[in-house]
Amino acid sequence: MRAAFLLTLGCLTSIVTVARPVSYTGGWTVIEESDRQSSSVLTHYTPAHQWSVGPRVELNRDDDFALYSVQPTWLAKRWFGADYQGNLYFFGGAGIASGTNGNLLDDRFAAYGGVMADWETRSLFASYRARYLGASHFGEQFMQAARIGFAPYEGDTGDLHTWLMLEIDHRPSDPNSVAATPLVRFFMGPLLVEAGYNLTVNQPLFNFTYRF
Amino acid sequence: MNLLIKNIAMITALCFCLPATAQEHHAHDDHATHDMHDQHDHEEANSSHTSHSGHTASDGPILTRTKDIESALADGGEPIVADVLGVVCDFCALAMNKIFSKREEVAAIYVDLDTKALSLVLAPGASMSDQTIADLAVQAGYRIAEVRRGDAALGSAS
Repeated sequence: MRAAFLLTLGCLTSIVTVARPVSYTGGWTVIEESDRQSSSVLTHYTPAHQWSVGPRVELNRDDDFALYSVQPTWLAKRWFGADYQGNLYFFGGAGIASGTNGNLLDDRFAAYGGVMADWETRSLFASYRARYLGASHFGEQFMQAARIGFAPYEGDTGDLHTWLMLEIDHRPSDPNSVAATPLVRFFMGPLLVEAGYNLTVNQPLFNFTYRF
Repeated sequence: MNLLIKNIAMITALCFCLPATAQEHHAHDDHATHDMHDQHDHEEANSSHTSHSGHTASDGPILTRTKDIESALADGGEPIVADVLGVVCDFCALAMNKIFSKREEVAAIYVDLDTKALSLVLAPGASMSDQTIADLAVQAGYRIAEVRRGDAALGSAS
C-alpha cells in the first residue's frame, strides 16, 4: 500500500509549488509539490498567522528513498501594500528516511531546511525557494528555484484566476543542473492547480494546493 | 546545448514581455477610478451578486452589495467597509471570510479583490470596534488601513 502511494506520488512530476505555506489562524492546507527529483504531500495546520506545522511525505525518485517528516514553516516577514504582498518564509523538517524501489539501506534520520520568498500583485508574481536536505547514507541534496509570472487578466473574488509562469530550478547534483519549466496556474476559491512541462528533462507537471 | 539555448531564448522573451504587461497594468490603473463601475457591471452576471458598488477617488471603496449584504442591511445591521492591505488573491479573500464569518457579530461579509475592501454588515444591535476588526485581519494574515462606517461605508456621506 505504501509503495503504491509513493508510486502515485512519483507519477506527479516536475517542479516546486510556492503557494502560501502559512494559512489563516485555524486553517488547514494540503499542498502537493512535485519536481524533477522528488514528489511530496504536505498537510499543514496554522495555529497562528505566522507559522504552520504538519506532516510531510516526500518520495525522492532519483535516490530511491522516502522521507517521512514533520515540517514547521515560519512566516518571518510579510510586506503589505494596497496593491502588493511580499513574504519571507523559513521552513525545516525532520523525520525518517526509508529506502524505496528495492533500496535496502537501513532507515535513518533525515532533516532539511530552507527559505522561500515571494512578491505578488494581482498581475505580476516572482518567487524564490532554496532547500538543503541531509539524509545520512541516502545522500545530500541542494536545490534552488526562481519563478516569474503574470496574469493575462485580473479576476475578482471567486473568479477563475489564470497565471502564466516560468520556473528555473538549479540542482547542482543533477546532470541537468539547470532546468526550465513553463506552466499555467489556475486559481479559484480554495483550489490552486498548476500544469506545465519541463523543457529540459521532458517531464509534465501537475501540482495543487487546497485550503480549507 | 540545444535545450540550453531554448531555455535562454524563452527567459529572454519573458523578460521582454513582463515590462510590457506591467506598463499595461499601470495604464489600466489610471482608468481604474473612472471605470470601476463598468468593471463591476460584468460581475452582475455572477449569481452570488445582486450588484456592486465602485469607489470614488475621495472617500475610498464603499460597501460591495451582494445578496447576503443586502439582506443583512435590510435587517438593520451596521455597514462597515475596511481597506485591506495585501489582498491580491482568492486565498486572501478566503482567509478573511473564514476569520470574520466565525464571529457572531458578523451577519454578512464580502472581500472585493478589485477594490481591496472588506465589506461587513453586522447583526442587528451588534457592534465591532476598529481594533477588533484590525485584530481579526491580523489573524487572517493581513492589515487594515482604514475603516468606514454607516453613511461613509454606503457612500452616502455628504
